[in-house]
Amino acid sequence: MTLDLFEELESLLLDWEDGTLDEPGVRRLREILKSDDDARAHFVRLQMMNAAMKLEGDAGVFTETAQQNIGTASGDFKKPPRNVRADSNSDSLRPVRWMLAAAVLLISVLAGRLVQLELADRPDKANGNGESDATFVATTDRDESEEATSQGVALVTRLVDVAWGTDQKSLEVGDALSPGRLAISSGYAQIEFFCGATVILEGPAELDLESPVLARVLSGRLRAQVPPAARGFSLEVDDLKVVDLGTEFGLSVSEKGANVQVFDGEVELQRPASATQLLTAGKAVTREADGSFKDTEVTPDSFLDMATLESRVQGQRDERYERWRAGSESLRSDSRLIAYYAFDQTDEWNRRLSSSIEPANTELDGAIVGANRVDGRWQAKGALEFKRPGDRVRVQIPGEYGSLTFSCWVKIDSLDRWYNSLFLTDGYEKGEPHWQILDSGQLYFSVRPTEQGQQGPRDHKALSPPFWQPSLSGRWLHLATVYSVENRTISHYLNGGLLNREVIPDEQIVEKTRIGTASIGNWSLPTQPDSHFAIRNLNGSIDEFALFAAALTDIEIKEIFDNGKP
Amino acid sequence: MTESDKTERFVQQLATHQNRLYGYVFSLVGDHSRAADVLQETNIVLWRKIDEFNTDKAFLPWAFAIARFQVLAHLRDRKRDRLLLDAELAEAISSEAERQGEQLEQLHAALRPCLQSLTAGNRDLVERRYFQARSIADIAAAVDRSVSSVKVALLRSRRHLSECIQRRLAAEGEL
Repeated sequence: MTLDLFEELESLLLDWEDGTLDEPGVRRLREILKSDDDARAHFVRLQMMNAAMKLEGDAGVFTETAQQNIGTASGDFKKPPRNVRADSNSDSLRPVRWMLAAAVLLISVLAGRLVQLELADRPDKANGNGESDATFVATTDRDESEEATSQGVALVTRLVDVAWGTDQKSLEVGDALSPGRLAISSGYAQIEFFCGATVILEGPAELDLESPVLARVLSGRLRAQVPPAARGFSLEVDDLKVVDLGTEFGLSVSEKGANVQVFDGEVELQRPASATQLLTAGKAVTREADGSFKDTEVTPDSFLDMATLESRVQGQRDERYERWRAGSESLRSDSRLIAYYAFDQTDEWNRRLSSSIEPANTELDGAIVGANRVDGRWQAKGALEFKRPGDRVRVQIPGEYGSLTFSCWVKIDSLDRWYNSLFLTDGYEKGEPHWQILDSGQLYFSVRPTEQGQQGPRDHKALSPPFWQPSLSGRWLHLATVYSVENRTISHYLNGGLLNREVIPDEQIVEKTRIGTASIGNWSLPTQPDSHFAIRNLNGSIDEFALFAAALTDIEIKEIFDNGKP
Repeated sequence: MTESDKTERFVQQLATHQNRLYGYVFSLVGDHSRAADVLQETNIVLWRKIDEFNTDKAFLPWAFAIARFQVLAHLRDRKRDRLLLDAELAEAISSEAERQGEQLEQLHAALRPCLQSLTAGNRDLVERRYFQARSIADIAAAVDRSVSSVKVALLRSRRHLSECIQRRLAAEGEL
């Protein structure tokens, strides 16, 4: 079959779907299908995809609710399905799920049984509820934040003891700032404008970010450092404009007035109906509440400088490191742990990744293959960097378990592979879990319910909504997934918060889980070593990994995150 | 097995395989509204034949056989309507549609990440066309593009999705 014929078929089918294919077109399409096996197979592929898109578009509450309720098949009719046979013009979106509803209703009535069907009102538009909705919502969120990033005017580069103002979304180091209000009620935030100016803001303070070269100061105290490349950076206070000519200066704004102090270089003060005033190093001026100006003393010590901020940042870092160490120490003897690697060894030459479980068991030590040792969340602890397709840590974990909890601290550089591994057992046998991230930025967890080659239920593929966005690149993230046999759920977490929780259909529940030989950060022994999608190495670093033979609670996951936050 | 156990098992099987049956029927009928009708008829016939339902025997091949019969009957009865395939062609395609219909859930799972891999603009077109069933002319008006450029974009997106799905399905076996 030639490519042209495929294209012709696709184009005819597109017109058919659109209701615009004429009679000769239909004949031509049939002719193609009659003449060629490959064309028929391709036609069915396109049709199946169309059916799948229909399901995706219709996916609604009914999917899960109905299936669960069918499973239990008891209870009363709370809401009878209404209007099952909706309008039947050719392009109406009569959902397949309603068909199922109708079928089940019919059967239950015929069988003289009552099946509980909770049919939520279904929106007319496609794009229903449940998991698929979450996916779309998250996608929209992501698009918006990408948009925000591209419109950004500045970056948050340091935060010390910051409490955010009311109505202010809390930010993290590395976040981009869009034009708009920035409010902190206490602490210090270092903001780097895209023009190159750096501002240290002391709370309480309120700024309106206008552009990469301009902000309006409503209140608070700040120190700005403006290298020559960022000359022209300006701050506005009411109708007063402070234009920097390459320097370091302080500005404090309160109800009493505005005070400008130049520590180095010079700034220009512009105000309406008045000559521009040049202010040089060692000079300071205050505009009183009544609008009058007067010269004042320069007091550089009252404006926190970058070196001092750095030492405070370091102090906070040390504190958090200590908190992590204490948390990690107590975790080590948690009897639910199956494997725990704290990555706290100091011997860089050692290709063994020591198990951190106590009492010590060297059998659980991992073997480092390829991956380089790099700094972890803190310089005081290490991490392993997975970059090349061969990089991995091999582990051997014996035993049989039920519920499982995976927890790890990971710094993702980018999601290059279709499947980006966090933790994968070799192969994928009955009872074995696979924990990875899809290139779409979704956490992905599954356990195989059947032996290789055996007929039976498919594995349940639990996907989180997409959580990844490029601005998270290079940041330490905490990821966790809880597989609960008791509750029949799979829950995904990012930075201590629940991403989503899915109920596993009864037939897909795997009660006995096992690990055996496995890899952190990659997949070993793929069945098709030469196929390109068999490469699943992570592009990033891991500096803590824990596996529990239990389903941890939301609170416990949050606690692990809080204890390990860098 | 008691009668009610059997009924419950039957309903469960019917629910489990509903999407696969839909994929099969839709492939041959080529129209969502008709496919929904044929599927409903198929469900009713399956229910009537519950005595033939044997819990040890695979449900899906049995259901496909009945769906096939319903599709062919539908195509013969509606000869005067505008149909994509004639009964002869539907019969020729049936076994391929069964084979691929079995895979529908995997295909559906693969579709999501593949949709994510489209550009936002193309994803929007695909969603308008295939999720919201808007006509190409409507879409072209809504996004202020020509009908032919929307068609080209849809054809490319569909090609991309199809290839992406096939690659993912091929990779599936190795999970």
